Amino acid sequence: MVKSLDDKIFNGVVYVILGLCGLAAILPMLYVVSVSITPFGEVLRNGGFILFPSEITFSAYKTLLTESNIPKAFQITVLITVIGTAVNLILTGLMAYPLSRKNLPARKFFLLMIVFTLLFSGGLIPTYLVVKSMGLLDSIWAMILPNAVWSFNVLIMKSFFEGLPEELFESARMDGAKEFRILLQIVTPLSIPVLLTVGLFYFVGHWNEFFQAIFYVTDRTLFPLQVIVREILMQSQQPLENAENIMPTQTMQMASVMIASLPVIVIYPFLQKHFTKGMLLGSIKG
Amino acid sequence: MLTISLLGALLAGCSGGGGSETNEGNTPSNTAKPSNEVSSKPIKLEIIETGNNLPTPDKDIIKKELDTALNIDLNLTVYPSGDDYANQLNVRMSSGNFPDLFMVSRQQLIQFSEQGLLLDITPYMDKLQQTVDYIGEDSVKKGMVDGKVYGVSKSPQIPYNTLWIRKDWLDKLKLTVPTTVEQLKEVAEAFTTQDPDGNGKPDTYGLTGGKMGAFSTVLGAFGVGMPGNFYEKDGAVVNALYDPAMKDALALIQQMIGSGSVDPELLANSGLQHQEKAIKGQAGIVYIDWPNMTKEQFVEQIKTVNPNAEWLQIAAPSGPGGQFDGSWDIGATPGRFAIPKALEKEPEKLQRVFDLLNYVSNPDGGSLLVQFGVKDTHFTLDNGKPKMTDKAGDVGYSWLYQFTGRPEMEYLQAKFAMQSDAIKFANDQPRIQVLNGFIDNPEGFNPADADRYIEEEIAKFIYNKRPISEYDAFIKTLETSMNYKAFLDSANEQLKALGYGG
Amino acid sequence: MEADQSLLPASRIQPTPQKRLQAVLRTAWRFRAFYLMLLPGVIYFIIFRYFPMYGVIIAFKNFAIMDGITGSAWADPWYKHFKEFYQSPYFSQLLSNTLLISCYKLIWGTFPPIILALLLNECRVRWLKSIVQTLTYLPHFLSWVIIFGILLTLFSQNGGLVNRWIVEAGGESIPFLTSTDYFRSILVGSEVWQNLGWGAIIYLAAMASIDPTLYEAAKVDGASRLRMIWHISLPGIQSIIVLLFILKLGHLLDAGFDQIYILYNIQVYPVADILDTWVYRTGLQQLNFSLASAVGLFKSLIGLILVLGANRLAKKWGEGIW
Repeated sequence: MVKSLDDKIFNGVVYVILGLCGLAAILPMLYVVSVSITPFGEVLRNGGFILFPSEITFSAYKTLLTESNIPKAFQITVLITVIGTAVNLILTGLMAYPLSRKNLPARKFFLLMIVFTLLFSGGLIPTYLVVKSMGLLDSIWAMILPNAVWSFNVLIMKSFFEGLPEELFESARMDGAKEFRILLQIVTPLSIPVLLTVGLFYFVGHWNEFFQAIFYVTDRTLFPLQVIVREILMQSQQPLENAENIMPTQTMQMASVMIASLPVIVIYPFLQKHFTKGMLLGSIKG
Repeated sequence: MLTISLLGALLAGCSGGGGSETNEGNTPSNTAKPSNEVSSKPIKLEIIETGNNLPTPDKDIIKKELDTALNIDLNLTVYPSGDDYANQLNVRMSSGNFPDLFMVSRQQLIQFSEQGLLLDITPYMDKLQQTVDYIGEDSVKKGMVDGKVYGVSKSPQIPYNTLWIRKDWLDKLKLTVPTTVEQLKEVAEAFTTQDPDGNGKPDTYGLTGGKMGAFSTVLGAFGVGMPGNFYEKDGAVVNALYDPAMKDALALIQQMIGSGSVDPELLANSGLQHQEKAIKGQAGIVYIDWPNMTKEQFVEQIKTVNPNAEWLQIAAPSGPGGQFDGSWDIGATPGRFAIPKALEKEPEKLQRVFDLLNYVSNPDGGSLLVQFGVKDTHFTLDNGKPKMTDKAGDVGYSWLYQFTGRPEMEYLQAKFAMQSDAIKFANDQPRIQVLNGFIDNPEGFNPADADRYIEEEIAKFIYNKRPISEYDAFIKTLETSMNYKAFLDSANEQLKALGYGG
Repeated sequence: MEADQSLLPASRIQPTPQKRLQAVLRTAWRFRAFYLMLLPGVIYFIIFRYFPMYGVIIAFKNFAIMDGITGSAWADPWYKHFKEFYQSPYFSQLLSNTLLISCYKLIWGTFPPIILALLLNECRVRWLKSIVQTLTYLPHFLSWVIIFGILLTLFSQNGGLVNRWIVEAGGESIPFLTSTDYFRSILVGSEVWQNLGWGAIIYLAAMASIDPTLYEAAKVDGASRLRMIWHISLPGIQSIIVLLFILKLGHLLDAGFDQIYILYNIQVYPVADILDTWVYRTGLQQLNFSLASAVGLFKSLIGLILVLGANRLAKKWGEGIW
């Protein structure tokens, strides 16, 4: 393939900018990783700045994984993330598909109903009362159901569904396919990128869950990961004024962040290949 | 009587602490159960407070000990962030899902008690004799609103903060420990300009600390408290902002900052950033508490950064207004707990809450447990003096169960034997006795706006962005725009009622 | 399609109410599968989102915990809490800070992720694309406490890396974190950094749905890559761009509480104190739920107006949410 000069320049510019973006992101991340595996005294000796550790220790990780509540909390987080994301995707898909059909009677009403909740909420107390009256307090469902559908994600998904070519639906309807089957067998396979995107949003949302946990759960054995991580990080922000308090070192803080975010970080590269340009429609139509 | 109280035990055991619905359990099938089974059932108690590092219940030794001793099933939940805690408490109070014992701020104590949510403990004082003896009458008063006791305050704390200085830097520059504010200023300047760490770079500062706290001793040398503090001076109650010496103190601080010898980001230091700066060797004088300078963890860090570093705890410098190591609020308490009014209907459970409070307040009972852990495992008694064993670290969280506090001095001496001298030194320093803990905010006064204005303008004065000659104009704006006058009048009145200021 | 055509005449002729109802019901029946799909979601919205909404009335009440939301007495006058907020000496500063910071973030939070997504889409080197995509995604998972730590090591005047360079180059150290001149840039910059890659995900997903034959045809016509971006990629993600922009407008008065609360300090209050931080400080000390609720309602109303307006505008270009 012969590339024109323009093309080469264009590519060059693209690579340089991308390289810079990557660098801007990696340096601070490298710092987080390095601090997490360097003895804290060493970090301080370097004025708090370390990119390449001169001395490596995994003691912070070891402490966190053996002496803290993290292992138990990790299980809870995996549980709510898996169940939660599944519930989210099913409900969101079921809402988004009908709303993407522009001839649906009362469509505008439903859409406004969803947009409205993005802007207005009743506040903490009434929501707590609902969760309480449904008997969800102190259960993993208290961390799943109150956020079963995000309005934002319904709108995103709906917008993607709207972009699907109309002919697909018409031919399916002529076949006499029922709407549920159209959704499952035609729309879903064509919507992998958006399903993964929205799925990722939900997944990350559950993974980072702490807000509902600290409100609706008082049973320590049900606390998810981020509640524990938050406890470690909060101590540096609002240290308690008592002599016994053992302040987690920066090394410990960074290690807790690494443990908590590693799983969400590693899944991303696996999703990326589905975001390749035009891949899906091309393969269907091809 | 007996059946009723047994019933109470049963109900509480079944309902898991659910407030008012417990009457539903009053069915024949329940009462028909054999009584011995009933009484053996532990009562569930739910307690919430701020704190951290509490292990899960299966690993919580203190909980297990308390459970067996009192026949309860104690469920303590701690919140690392004060805001999370406040929100949690508020939603639970609003939804009638009351914890059986919970930590409250003074403001919450007032509001909740006014709304009838808290149990008036006054009639039960005889049942809490042990607790009262433990915390002292003064602490009981701190839990009062309108003459009624609504909260159990912890026994008082002692001050921890002092100035710390780099002895090795002083030696290197052939300086002596500063004893006056003028000397403090000079030493701070020398630490900034004369390269005390000998690395050839101008990368050190004299003084650091947490926000304005860094200047506590400087203000103290002028006999002035922190901005906004109330204290007695020559028999009258004074607010530090109105103290005539305040301007002089600010002028000196302004000179110190102007000379570049103070940590430039001092007012932005949040958390323990000042400590970190001190340990890193970026500042040679820091105003900080002894735990954060002398606990092994930090001593080790200091030595790793610089094996020659030597921090010396020093007395406050003297000045025209005397010598005070900052201020100490005698009206404050390290924490207070309240009981929901709803517990009135569950006398058995209420009794267990009292039992718990008395137990952790009993020097011959659970007090040692919540202070030091299990006897002969985590500590031993040596001639009646507790000594920590090497297992003591396993119950490092036991302070979370000190609902009524602890005998501060003896406790710290035992628990922090290595830091014993620093503890005594900090406690012995003269301090301005501040009365703010006794003052409740009047209606219609937004302390947030006033606080911001005070902090902001004081920052401008000391950073020389506003001339100190405009100090009176600042006070005037504060009084009018920020409604500070109303607060001032109310505060003076409240303090007068307590007998302060003659 | 058929359904559409049969609907039209029915709605044009003015039938009796009874007949109209019948027609509506008949159409609805034809869409019953769709309504069935909507049902679980709608139930969720009603229970968890709409039912608690009665809580907004505490903005007009003197909320007392004991009396509950419905039982508390009405505020006198009804706008008492709005007035309290309006009468703060800092009101105008708070509002302008909120709007300014939010607008900066809106602009800087919208375009860079789009550009990144376009560049990633143009990247022909698979490994570079994959690595940059992953790397830029990482910072999203750092909480503000951690980012604050990173900012300190970079920008502090006490040995921050940037200031060390400046001083070594013979300059004066710059108070990045405590000066009103730099603070907003720090806020916006750190937010862009945190969310650059995360924000790009959705555009990348949108571009994955563009028909590749469009690019092929353009290539045959000899269109340059820039032209293809302009004429194919951008229009392909236009509806998502518009959607996100409208939704962001709805939160124009949320300038980012978490971030500002952790990063700000008394010296930068004049440029950094926003509605939410003020509510937080005021509410925390006074346990004033009604005030917080009033400010929240104010923010939501402004958001609603902006969303409705923006949607109307967007519809003129054929986009829009509904």
